[in-house]
Amino acid sequence: MSTETKLDGATVEVIRSYLVSAAEEMRRTLIRTAFNPVIYEVLDFGISIYDADLELISDAPGLAFFLGANDYAIRKGVEFAGAETMRPGDIFIMNYPYWNSAHALDATLFAPVFADGEDRPFAYTCIRAHWMDLGAKDPGYVLDSTDMHQEGLIFPGTRIYKDGAPVKDIIDIIKFNSRMPGPVMGDLDAQVAATRTGVERLNAILGKFGRPAFDEAVGRIKVASEALVRRALADLPRGTWEAGDVVDDDGISDDPVPIHVKVTIDEEGLTCDFSGSSPAVPGPINIPIGLTETICKFVLKSLTSASQRNNAGSFRALKVIAPEGNLFHAVYPAATFTQWPAHLALELVYKALAQGMPERIAACSGGDTLGFMMIGTDPVTKSMYAVSNNEPVGWGGSAEFDGINATNHISGSLVRNTPIEVIEMKTGMMMEQFEIKPDSGGAGKRRGGMGTERLIRFTQDGEFLSITKRSKEKPWSLGGGAQPETNELIVRAGTDAEKRVGTYRMPVAIGDRAIARGAGGAGYGLATERDPAAVLDDVLDGYVSVEAARELYKVAIVGSAVDVAATEALRGG
Amino acid sequence: MKRFRVAVDIGGTFVDSILFDSETGTTRLAKASTTPDEPVRGVLAALDRLGVSLNDTELFVHGTTLGLNAVIERRGVETGIITNAGFRDVFEIGRADVPAASMYDYRYQREASIVKRRHRFGVGGRIDAHGNEVEPLDEAAVLDAAGKLVEAGIRSVAICFLHSYRNPVHEARAAEVIREAYPQLAVSASSAITREYREYERTATAVVDAYINPIFNDYVGRLENGLVENGFCGKLLIMRSAGGAMTAQTARQAPIYTVLSGPAGGLIGAGQLAKAIGRDRVLTLDYGGTSLDAAVIEDGEPLVMHEAPLADLPALIPIFDIRCIGAGGGSIAWVQEGLLQVGPQSAGSQPGPIAYGRGGNEPTTTDAALILGFLDPSTFLGGTVDLDVPAARQGMQDRVAGPLGIDIDRAAAGIFDVLVARTAGAIREITVERGRDPRDFSMLAFGGAGPLIAPLIAREVMNAELIVPQNPAVFSAWGMLMSDIVTDVALTQLRLLEPEAQGPVEEAFATLIEDARAQLEGQSGTQTERRFLRLVECRYAGQEHALEIELPEGEDLASLRARFDDLHRERYGHAIAAPVQIVTLRVRASAVMPKPTLPIVPEATGPASDAQIGAREAFCFARRERTPFAVYDRKLLGAGHTFDGPAIVEEGTTTTVIHSDQTVAVDPHGHLIVRRKSA
Repeated sequence: MSTETKLDGATVEVIRSYLVSAAEEMRRTLIRTAFNPVIYEVLDFGISIYDADLELISDAPGLAFFLGANDYAIRKGVEFAGAETMRPGDIFIMNYPYWNSAHALDATLFAPVFADGEDRPFAYTCIRAHWMDLGAKDPGYVLDSTDMHQEGLIFPGTRIYKDGAPVKDIIDIIKFNSRMPGPVMGDLDAQVAATRTGVERLNAILGKFGRPAFDEAVGRIKVASEALVRRALADLPRGTWEAGDVVDDDGISDDPVPIHVKVTIDEEGLTCDFSGSSPAVPGPINIPIGLTETICKFVLKSLTSASQRNNAGSFRALKVIAPEGNLFHAVYPAATFTQWPAHLALELVYKALAQGMPERIAACSGGDTLGFMMIGTDPVTKSMYAVSNNEPVGWGGSAEFDGINATNHISGSLVRNTPIEVIEMKTGMMMEQFEIKPDSGGAGKRRGGMGTERLIRFTQDGEFLSITKRSKEKPWSLGGGAQPETNELIVRAGTDAEKRVGTYRMPVAIGDRAIARGAGGAGYGLATERDPAAVLDDVLDGYVSVEAARELYKVAIVGSAVDVAATEALRGG
Repeated sequence: MKRFRVAVDIGGTFVDSILFDSETGTTRLAKASTTPDEPVRGVLAALDRLGVSLNDTELFVHGTTLGLNAVIERRGVETGIITNAGFRDVFEIGRADVPAASMYDYRYQREASIVKRRHRFGVGGRIDAHGNEVEPLDEAAVLDAAGKLVEAGIRSVAICFLHSYRNPVHEARAAEVIREAYPQLAVSASSAITREYREYERTATAVVDAYINPIFNDYVGRLENGLVENGFCGKLLIMRSAGGAMTAQTARQAPIYTVLSGPAGGLIGAGQLAKAIGRDRVLTLDYGGTSLDAAVIEDGEPLVMHEAPLADLPALIPIFDIRCIGAGGGSIAWVQEGLLQVGPQSAGSQPGPIAYGRGGNEPTTTDAALILGFLDPSTFLGGTVDLDVPAARQGMQDRVAGPLGIDIDRAAAGIFDVLVARTAGAIREITVERGRDPRDFSMLAFGGAGPLIAPLIAREVMNAELIVPQNPAVFSAWGMLMSDIVTDVALTQLRLLEPEAQGPVEEAFATLIEDARAQLEGQSGTQTERRFLRLVECRYAGQEHALEIELPEGEDLASLRARFDDLHRERYGHAIAAPVQIVTLRVRASAVMPKPTLPIVPEATGPASDAQIGAREAFCFARRERTPFAVYDRKLLGAGHTFDGPAIVEEGTTTTVIHSDQTVAVDPHGHLIVRRKSA
């Protein structure tokens, strides 16, 4: 195609479709060749394609929380490595947390893509994925680091492939610094293969349409997405709203950590300012600015363009403020391994928005993911196992709907839980119960979704750990809805040493018991305004007890019917 | 042996029937309209149009998506669940995940559960992960729960206990006591359908089976009556979702096996065709009114999955790996922020494309095909539908061409450009996922509109060739004629693949084969040839990806390990030194049925131009402009004919459109083999 061509809207869409396919093909390649289940089962990866200006033009997010996470990383990585030094066949690695927007176990690879005969890249492909081990102070998860150097080997944007061949010196450093070099090398290869798939597809697209058409199309794609987002934002109320919340602790002391956001919607777009949050803390819960941006991108997307593919235009209306040294702008050497406060911060932004548009927002869900893991030795094979699970939570009620029951936290809602039969097969945990916990959802005109209760009996000795950063402050409700109880884990249940914990690591012995409770969601609106027929349905299904129906909802249930007169008396009084 | 064999496939619009005459070796086709309110009526009408006596019919093979539709449209019966005490919410909680399309929706709502919590009961009794009984089954509690369900008006119950894949004794006993006490209740025990682990998936499998059981039984009962009334006294077979057929009697016991029985016919046909003409790797493309589906066939065998989503529910049943890669001919084209969009909204068949004149006012891909000259308005769907071309052009102008500032042809072509770009991408993904290059595949196009769009897709993915079979619109029904009686049995057996495992594995296979033989016996009599395929699903210890490998009788496990490594390398790009774990043993058993061979068409006697019946203007995607296309009548083409595009081949219900950079050869079976012209 000639340079003066003004592309029509069909051709631009065709090029966009190819860019989407390129990212999807990178995803298939990664999933197909990855070694560790955290990549192919938990989808702990994020795939992006950038143009010459390092603006996102296509992506294939795995985890919802990796939405746009590469955007900050690649800018810093290319700046560090220098675009002018790059040659075809180069691939770079980066996991410096403050640039990479994640903990040190997430390794990002990026590669420049060159058109024939040009000496500057016309695009970049980029993949982050969770690695099994890079030599942090503890295997598996680090819950109590106090600086970056306890969290593993660090790369700032280092050439790991040159002219298409691996750089042996760097590979050796990784191999000799990992507790699990086999899987790590396997995942590195998978990421390299997927990065190259992207390079090949981009070259094919360029070959088919030519550089001028490619450049024009990516420009038009961004403009279209920005227009779409701004049009949707214009339908939202304008104003500035603030909200605060509390993170359990930093993993070192028991002190709660306050977080705060000020959200503005105006003609500029959406601004989220975290300046009012706690300064950085000693423990590993500090958030790099790129992840803070990702949290806000998630919110903007959910409000304006949930079903659209992403590109830089999708996020142009967003501004994120967090001063260096704040909890939400971690700087060297702050510890960043256990970034659970990000879950709370996501819902914190909604909490602020809810003040200006309660009818568009849902009340808080259970508020965080309660994860647990058992580490032990298989009595037959004598090999070590570490099997984990995330407990579901109830989601929050909203103007239109009850919150859904027992579903993974929205920050990781694509991830599936671990089946009971798998847990019992692989570990020394036997489940005595795993059921929805009646009355666990916050009451309301639209009630919160129900949480769960799991009773665990240990049938082998081993180690048990749990993570949640919301086991103290109850999830926030809207419009007078009720707040549910929080996530909680009870260890040594039924003994004198019984203890309620949040984030915890402890040895367990045969016969010990633990109880895990994933919180319900918060309610929306007054419970006394809930349709008595809906309350009756909940009672018949055992989600709500007859007592709670009477006390919270002021609905009298007799047998399997609403006692209308008694209900009127209860509600009228 | 009676003279005729008949197959009938119920589609969304038409019931397709096909007859094979074993005396002449010929086939005959007939169609009737689908009658959703009373499906049997449409089936009998289609049979009637075949014009032969059912007295002379040996075998009636049937495919229907009745069960799947009941799940999608939530038209099953109210269902209850009996499970372990403390676990009544396994079905509701599921895997606690949200579909990818809703991952940013903080107000996400699940579809209403097909089993209300009040109809889910936990009873005492527990089996552990090793299959040992930890607590005996509380039979009184089972009876009590069943009694409450009956009292609540429930007609069907699913039973699923933890670890029943390992030890089904509690489930079997619970089913037995319920059937004795409440014979009116349909009972689906999870371990009777699948012996695979994962409690939610197994529960959902039993629930779906229970949910559709009464509806399916009712339908098959009516069909049997209708056939008998018309003199049929042969064998009624229902297609399975993973190929092969089963007797109606067997299907009625676990109707979940039939959920995908219509599309399965197409893949069996494709597999047989691929074998007959010697193609190792085939990619099928089935394009109808509602969806564009693709599947991979290697060495004549369509890929089988052992878990598939049925609407929002997982089912642990063997099922062909058919991927929906796009919307059908009803996809709506629109403009958003200056860019052309196709779908995801669809006009379906009601109101349908603008050209149908049924009130549709949004341009669809069918309207685009009409505008570009690919469809002949006078013969569309055998002349049963009048197409309004001016209305389609006006709609295209108003909704697409105008807003984009381009002419109508360019707009209509743009719709195909977008569709083809997406489809090509989806096809690349399917093949790349298996470690294959899409260029190594032959493409096989069927379904009403498959041959219309497949040549465009073939140009894009540069396939070696595109095959258009005979009667592509009724290809699924034809495939049903090619089917054997098949049964699959499986057992999850987690153990390391090591020499000591040989004994237990052989023992388990012996039991499975005995089960399978008994199941075939009941269905086919003893006279037919039997085949038993022994498959081992294994994986590297600690990984989740499992691969299925055949273990022929007499082969030891050491060689299995080597083949596992090879296959893993091919599929996932690497092999590792870790121990290999056996997950599940499977036996696929078939009773081989006599089937028609591919027809041989007469040799061409004159030039291909003899088969040309006219010419019409249409849009050529190679030239990017309107150009005259030679129009051929497929009936007049003979083996050995070759001709170049631009060309259109008409055959009643289907149109094949060949562009100027493509060429066609007719093979001895009358297949159109479309290739790119050599430069």
